Amino acid sequence: MPIASDLIRGHIDAIILTRLLGGDSYGYEINKSILQLTRGEYEIKEATLYSAFRRLEQADCISSYWGDEQTGARRRYYTITQVGREAHKILYGEWHTLKKMIDNLIYVEEN
Amino acid sequence: MENKIRRYVEGLFEDAPVSRKTVELKEEMIQNLEEKYDDLVFVGKSPEAAYNIVIASIGDVSVLLNQLNNEAAKASPEAAKYRTRSAAFTAVAVMAYILSVLPLIILSELNVPGASSIGLGFMIITVAAATGLLIFNSMSKPKYLKEDDSIIEEFKEWQSGTHEQKQMRKAISSAVWSLVLVVYFLASFTTHAWHLTWIVFPLAGAVEGLINAIFASKKKGGE
Repeated sequence: MPIASDLIRGHIDAIILTRLLGGDSYGYEINKSILQLTRGEYEIKEATLYSAFRRLEQADCISSYWGDEQTGARRRYYTITQVGREAHKILYGEWHTLKKMIDNLIYVEEN
Repeated sequence: MENKIRRYVEGLFEDAPVSRKTVELKEEMIQNLEEKYDDLVFVGKSPEAAYNIVIASIGDVSVLLNQLNNEAAKASPEAAKYRTRSAAFTAVAVMAYILSVLPLIILSELNVPGASSIGLGFMIITVAAATGLLIFNSMSKPKYLKEDDSIIEEFKEWQSGTHEQKQMRKAISSAVWSLVLVVYFLASFTTHAWHLTWIVFPLAGAVEGLINAIFASKKKGGE
């Protein structure tokens, strides 16, 4: 994990909500898609992922249900709620503001 | 190797409070880790390497443990209160069941005409009251406690068979027992052989066991 994982971890809620905007999903699938989207450079630790799920569920941003897989273990799926959609919009907006701010703050003029 | 993952996760949550949330979290985690393990083996990793990668990907569970502990601390005072009350209700109901036959026995000894009917009346009223108490007790269970059971129950149910089969078995069982009670009283009052008629209860127990066994074998056959 070469890129500062603390920085990404601060945005884990937004990342999970974004994944769920595309449809219901479960822990491993979300983690796999993150690994793919970051070209293998970032993978959330399981413990971080589940504590984020618990936090988001308590905040009513997501809800969960057990799948009805007939073979093997049952998966726990997560769904994004209306509250979660609103939260995603806010977090997305905040990130854009922050990105611009940081760009300005650490930009060095070359000459 | 899959058992090894389960054992490892169980070990991580050894000190976690025993609750629905803990059980669910463990099951969720084990399922996801096993799926990851299978994927790693599928792409050619050796079982040992795959196991090590999976375990390394868990990370620090202390935050999770804190969350579980906080939730348990929030729920416990009310839960403890309910448990004490529930135990008291159940004890009273069971005592009422046992004592309900006493008036019947005493009054029948008096040899006064109609006395045993009064005793029987007493018995039925006492039994009805005790049953009412038990039903009230389970109906007034706090919601989160109910949830607490239901998910774990759901798990067990899912492991042991389908819902409908369970329901049917329950319905048959309660019908059988009501029938047995009716037969018991009918036989006892017509023959007055109270010293013999009680035998229908162990018999009914055996029949119920048989029905359960038939269900179980059917289920196995169906799979």
